Formats: sequence, structure tokens, C-alpha cells
Amino acid sequence: MATIREKGYHHWEGQLRDKPWNFWPITRTGIKLAFERRRFKLLFVLSFLPAVIYGVGVYVSERLENFKFMAQGVDKTLQVNPGFFRSYLTLDLIFFEILLLMSLSGAGLIADDFRHKAIQLYLARPLSKSDYLLGKAGVVMFFVGLLTLVPGILLFILKLLFSGSFKFFLNYPWLILSIIFYSAFLMIFFTAFVLLASSLSNNRNYVIAIMWSIYIFSNVLGAILRIIFHSPYSALLSLKANLDQVGAAFFLVKPPYDYPWFLSFLLLISFCLLAYVVVRRKIRGVEVIR
Amino acid sequence: MNVDLKNIHFSYGSVKALNGVSFSLREGATGLLGPNGAGKSTLLKVMLGFLIPDEGEGRVLGYDLRTEQKFIRQQVGYMPEDECYIPGMDAVTFTSYMGELSGMSRQEAIKRAHDVLFYVGLGESRYRLIDTYSAGMRQRLKLAQALVHDPRLLFLDEPTSNLDPAGRQEILELIREVATIRDISVLISSHLLADIEFICDEVVIINKGLIAASGRIEDLKMINYQLYELKIKGELNSFKKELESSGCRVEETEDRLIKVYTPPGFDHLEIFRVAARNNIQVRQFVRSQTSLEDLFARVVGVD
Amino acid sequence: MTAIIEALNLSRWYGNVLGISEVNLEIQPGITALLGPNGAGKSTFMKIITGQLKPNIGEVRILGEKVWNNRHIFRRLGFCPEVDAFYEELSGFEFLFFLLSLYGFTTAESRKKAELALELVELTEVKDRQIRSYSRGMRQRIKIAQAIAHNPEIIILDEPLNGLDPLSKRRIIKLIKEFKGEGKTIVVSSHILPEVEALTSEIVLIHQGKILARGDIYFIRELIDSHPHMIRIKSPHFRQLAKILAGEDYILNISFKPQENVVIFETHHRDRFFNRLNELILGSLVTIDEITSPDDNLQAVFDYLVGK
Repeated sequence: MATIREKGYHHWEGQLRDKPWNFWPITRTGIKLAFERRRFKLLFVLSFLPAVIYGVGVYVSERLENFKFMAQGVDKTLQVNPGFFRSYLTLDLIFFEILLLMSLSGAGLIADDFRHKAIQLYLARPLSKSDYLLGKAGVVMFFVGLLTLVPGILLFILKLLFSGSFKFFLNYPWLILSIIFYSAFLMIFFTAFVLLASSLSNNRNYVIAIMWSIYIFSNVLGAILRIIFHSPYSALLSLKANLDQVGAAFFLVKPPYDYPWFLSFLLLISFCLLAYVVVRRKIRGVEVIR
Repeated sequence: MNVDLKNIHFSYGSVKALNGVSFSLREGATGLLGPNGAGKSTLLKVMLGFLIPDEGEGRVLGYDLRTEQKFIRQQVGYMPEDECYIPGMDAVTFTSYMGELSGMSRQEAIKRAHDVLFYVGLGESRYRLIDTYSAGMRQRLKLAQALVHDPRLLFLDEPTSNLDPAGRQEILELIREVATIRDISVLISSHLLADIEFICDEVVIINKGLIAASGRIEDLKMINYQLYELKIKGELNSFKKELESSGCRVEETEDRLIKVYTPPGFDHLEIFRVAARNNIQVRQFVRSQTSLEDLFARVVGVD
Repeated sequence: MTAIIEALNLSRWYGNVLGISEVNLEIQPGITALLGPNGAGKSTFMKIITGQLKPNIGEVRILGEKVWNNRHIFRRLGFCPEVDAFYEELSGFEFLFFLLSLYGFTTAESRKKAELALELVELTEVKDRQIRSYSRGMRQRIKIAQAIAHNPEIIILDEPLNGLDPLSKRRIIKLIKEFKGEGKTIVVSSHILPEVEALTSEIVLIHQGKILARGDIYFIRELIDSHPHMIRIKSPHFRQLAKILAGEDYILNISFKPQENVVIFETHHRDRFFNRLNELILGSLVTIDEITSPDDNLQAVFDYLVGK
């Protein structure tokens, strides 16, 4: 007795399941593709450098006695308090790193799909446009989160470990929430920013140019206008300034600019909403069947 | 009945695209034809769950058109006309990714991707990056991603576009094979009538928002018992004269085809006798059938 | 008869990549089809004869004049490229009018010619709509219109039937045949062999940068001696027929399709085969429903020459 497997096509005996997080393959694939790009891995690892330095800072501030010989006045500047965390999360360098990583991995998220007409393939599946966008958003959130939320929490834990007590936590019980909420805010903002830019062109390089020019231009504009008009409100034009303002507020520290932080918050939220509307519109314009 | 639509109406604003279309599909391959703007793509969008009809109802693969669109899209395989792929991936990753997006688990999708890639003839190249694929290979890959989740309804849009003659032939043969798979309905939309004739048994012609003709191609192309198409070797003139004197009408077309219209009751063997008498070799002899092109022209009501 | 288009020893390469090599060709009035697999050199050749590309070796003459850098010849030449290249904001009419005025026609002449061209491709109804709003078939037709609007003697068409529905195809094929009747010289490149067969029997087959075959399809078929001819016969007595002919030495191969009552013979000597077959039919030994030659067509010639 012998059996031979029939040649040709075999039907699949499995079940197609409608999963609640069916956008997850999109996120996972986006992350994988990001790591396959040449310089990405290196840049990714290097972007944790500030986190490492701050980590060392936490250690140093605890063992200040051992380092007293190194410099005077160090104890004045190196204090681990909410300002410390806030300064990490609003570091110019961090934003720069985010933009850099996103240039390599985020710029093409939607642009490439436009260019290679892959959106048709996605939308022909039992995926809604929201699923598609959520999947793509996940990629940005993943990387931004790794640079903000995760180091933020780790630094916090590190502080607790090095100080050997919960005293720090009890002093600032709201701090962990600040870290989480501000990181989340950054994640949402950058997701909106990157996906908006990516949906505006089908050429990845143009998207990178758009991202950088908006960011740099807005900051420069804000600075120039501040010099000309001496008004603190001119900071509203600068993306970085707005993020700083909101960051300060979340950490209950004095905001750097002299106007209600709420304005910055609203501005950034409106930006995110605008981005959402534009991106949805762009996707909706894709005809799955011509 | 894999697809059953009744009396579908759809308008884009004031433009009526579908004006009461009833349509059904069984197993096997069906061609969908129609002039541009006839309502073809609208019908497809309604059928595949992208548009909700204004009026009318139907079921596709057992799912309701209006309320279960997501399920329809789960069970349908779509091979778009455009060149579409995701760069930076190899064929297995791409195909299994698409399978996952249709609802398969990761393991199942990967296993199935390998099977399907072998089936479409990309087995040897399945670990290569898609970016390096030729046009013909990308077409096969498109077919693979349409088959990976084992759909019961396969829709192919201009499957041979962008291919050179060799590539066309190969894809057509592959699709014809797919059309013979048990339990699958294949719907092909194409302007290349030769492709449709090669693959499909049935055809549906849509025009101005209505179904103008549908049925088996063989039945629609009526056999004309009075007209024979010949190719010969030898001098035409005396052959022609003699046939005409027995009541036939003889025409020569551009590509050396001889059309012989015979009177009722004419014994076709007589053609061979006349040929022999006039030193003619008959090298082709076919009872004429309306070509699909003529059928299309007649049905769409022009010329 | 001097040829309308003469290509002399053309060669063109792009760095290491070969475009075409040692192409010698003469094209007469009428319709000539240019065929070949992707990458064979068709587009290179077309770009050279329309003066868009300079050959590395050799030259092209149209109507006796050199093509490269010769603006005047363009007035007598019309080209329909494969890709879309439009000013999308212009209407169909404006686009043609603009191009015609570039040829040096007066306003009145340009308008007239534009409208005539639009009529020929049946776009009169939508002539004032922006090209941006045109469907694929319409875009294809406006491309054809711009190639013929200035009434050139020589028309070069790269995949002109791409994207057209069967009826539009028929109309354009008819149009092209009308041009042939007017004595024009038309070169058509196409992938779709059935369409080529509907247009002409004069073909030029390019493969790997060289001309593989040139001439009438049927003569080319005849010349491919080493490839046996297939003859398909449908008959209720198909097995008997096979039995009778199996003993003949010019039969190389016999295969059956029993479900269709079909027997397929392969032979080197069609003459002897058909003589015998006609004899048998007349002798009432067998009744025949159908006789066809499945590979007496362009696809088979193509496959064989391109070496599948």
C-alpha cells in the first residue's frame, strides 16, 4: 500500500480568523524592514547614548561623595529631580535622533506603499483603513517609545535602585505618571508628524526633506520672530519650543516661555488632528479597483 | 452559486453606474467584458465589498453584500492590474505577510506561502528579493498573494498586462490551470479577448450599467452552418469561379483566408471536389464561428 | 523602390548594456510590426529612428535624409510613445492645438487639424475636458491623436492598443489600415500577437539586440524547416485517419485528443501530407469536420525563434 500526494493545488484546511489586533503584522513588518536598512542598526544603538549618559548621571549623583574630588559645584547641577527627567525627554538630541531614525525607517511607511501601489493589496484584505494606519503608527510609536518611554522608566527605576529606597518615589509620586504621559504625548505627536509627511509624497526622499524642513524651519522661524518681536508668543511657531513648553508643564517645572502652556498643547493637538484628517484623505483617494 | 447578485443599482452622485444588474457566478472561469465606463469596475467594487449598492441585494460566497463586506474580502483573492509589491522583502515573506493580513496565523501563513509559491512556479526563486524579479515573475507573485489564503473567489484584473508574448503565454497557462481547481470561481476582467477565450468557458458582457449578454462562450458564438473558412495552396481564380457557379459566394480576406458562403443544403464535400478539380490543396477547413470580438461588437451595439 | 526608413548598421549600447547590434533594416510603405521580448531592443530602435537617441555606430535615414538633429524630418514623422507624457491641465483640444502650432501651422490650420485628429480617435465629445480627467483609454487615444494630427507620412507607434477596450482597438486598427491605404508608412510595436496578426503580415522580430527574422509571417514559417508543422484534424474517424497515415514516412508524430475527436499530426512535408489528405477525403474514406494548423501563427513562430 502506498499513497502519493496529489500534484497540483491543495486547498488549505485552516480557518481564517478575524483577530482584534489584525494590524499587528503591519507593525511587525515595518519594524523588521527598518532594521534591514544599512545604517539603521548602528544609528539605533547609538541613539541610546544619551540614555546611557543620563544613567551614569543618576549613578554619579548618588555616589557624589566618591566623585567630590572631580569637580566643585557638581552637587548643585547634578540633582536627580523632575527637571532631570524632563531634560532628558526634551533634549534637542533626542528629537534629532528621532527624526534621524524616522528618516530611515518611517519616511517610507506610507510613501513606499503609494509608490509601489501596495495600498491596493492592503485594502483588498479584510483590513479597514484604520487598521492600516494603526499598523503603520505602531512602527513610529515603537521607535519613539524606545527612545522616550523606556529610558524614562528605566532611569526612574535606576534612581530607586541606586538610592536604595523609595524615598524618591514618595517625594515625587506623580513623576512616573509625568514620564508616561509626556512620552505618550511625544509618541502621538511624532506618529502624526511622520505619517503626515509620509503620505504627502510617494518618494521617500522627498518625505525626508519635508520632515526635516518643517522641523528646522519652524524652529528657526520661531527664533527669528522672537528676536524681532521680543514676544514670547513667537515660540508658538517653533515645534521644538511647543514641545518644550508642554514638557515643562507635564513635569510641573517652570515653562521656558512666558505664556500659558495650554496654548502649546492645543496647538500640537490640533496639528495631530489635522495630520489625521489629511492622511485619511490621502488613503481614501486610493482606488482599489480602477 | 458562489456569487449571486440581484438587481443592483449604484450611482456616483448623479451618474448612474449600475442600472439593475443581476449576476451570478459558478465554479470555473468567467470573463468579464465591457467597454470603458460601462460599469465594470463599479460592479466589481460592489461584488468585492468596497461599495454598498443603492438598491438590490446579493450574496457573495454566502456573505451578504451589505452587512458582511469584511467577510467577503476575507474570502476573495484579488490580483490587481498594477504592478504592486513591497520592496525589500523576499517572496516568502511577502506572501506570508499577505496571508497573515487575511487572517491566517503566522505559522500557517508561512507554510502555505511556500506551497503557493511552488504552485505558481516561483519555488526556485522564493528566497530572492522581489525587487530582483522580472515582470513575469512579479505577475506570478501577484497571483500567489491572491491564492495564499485559499479564496473561493479569485478576481484577476488584466492578468497579462505588462508582459511580453512569452510571459503572457506562461501566465495564461497558469491561470487556466487555476481555473480548473475544484471549488474556485475565477473572474477575469480583460480587454484582451484572446486571453478570455483561452481561459474562460463563460463570459459576461456589461454595457451602460446593464448586463448585455452572459452565458457559455460556445453557446454565444453561434456556429454558422453556411460559412466555411479555408486556407489553400494554389491558384484561387478558377477555384473561386467554379464554387460561385454552384451558388456559393467566395471572399478573400487580407490574411489569405478564403470565406465560402454556401447555399442551403450544400454538401461541404463538394468544396474538396472542386478543389481537386482545380489543383488546389485545402490546408485549412473550419466552420465559421462568430468571433468573440464580433460578439462583443454586436452586443455592445456598434458597427 | 527606395525604402522610406533605412537603418544602416545600427548599434547602440548603454555602458555595458547592449541596446541593439548591427541592425540593418529597410522599411517600405505599409504596416510593419516590430516584435520582440522585453529588453530585446525595440524601444532603443524606435528611439533611434525617431531621432531621440543617437546610435553609437551607423545611421538612420528617413526619406533619404539623416534623422539625428534634423528638425525638418520631424514634421513628416509622428510618434506615439508607450509612456504617458502630458500636460495634464490642458484639455485634449488645447494639447493638440499647442503641439500643432509648434509644427508651424497657422492658428486656423492648427484648429482644423486638431479637430480632425480628435474626430479620428473619437474624442470629439471630451475635447474640452482636462486630460487629467481622461480615462486610460482616452489617454491612449489622445496620444495616438498627437502622433497623427500633423498628417505625417511616417507614423511610429509604440504599443498603441494598450489599455483600449476591444471596440476601441478595432477602430484604431481600422484607422491604421486606412493610413496604409493612403500610402503612409507605419511601424507598430506590440506585445500582443493576436493584435499584430490583425494588422499586418510584415514583421520584424528583434531579439537580444539583433534582427532575428524579417518578412511575411507565412514565409518565415515556411523557412523554419527544422521545426515540423502541426496539423490538427477533427473527425469522427480520427483514429482511422491516424491508422492510415501512420505508415507514411513524412509523418513524424501523432497525438490524440480523444474527447474532442481530434488527431494532431506533425510533419516536415506539408505538400505530401495535404495531397494525401485531400485524396482521402475525396475518396470518401474519412469524413472531416475541421482542418487547422495550430502553430501556423505568430505566437508559435515567436516561441520557436526566441527559443523556448
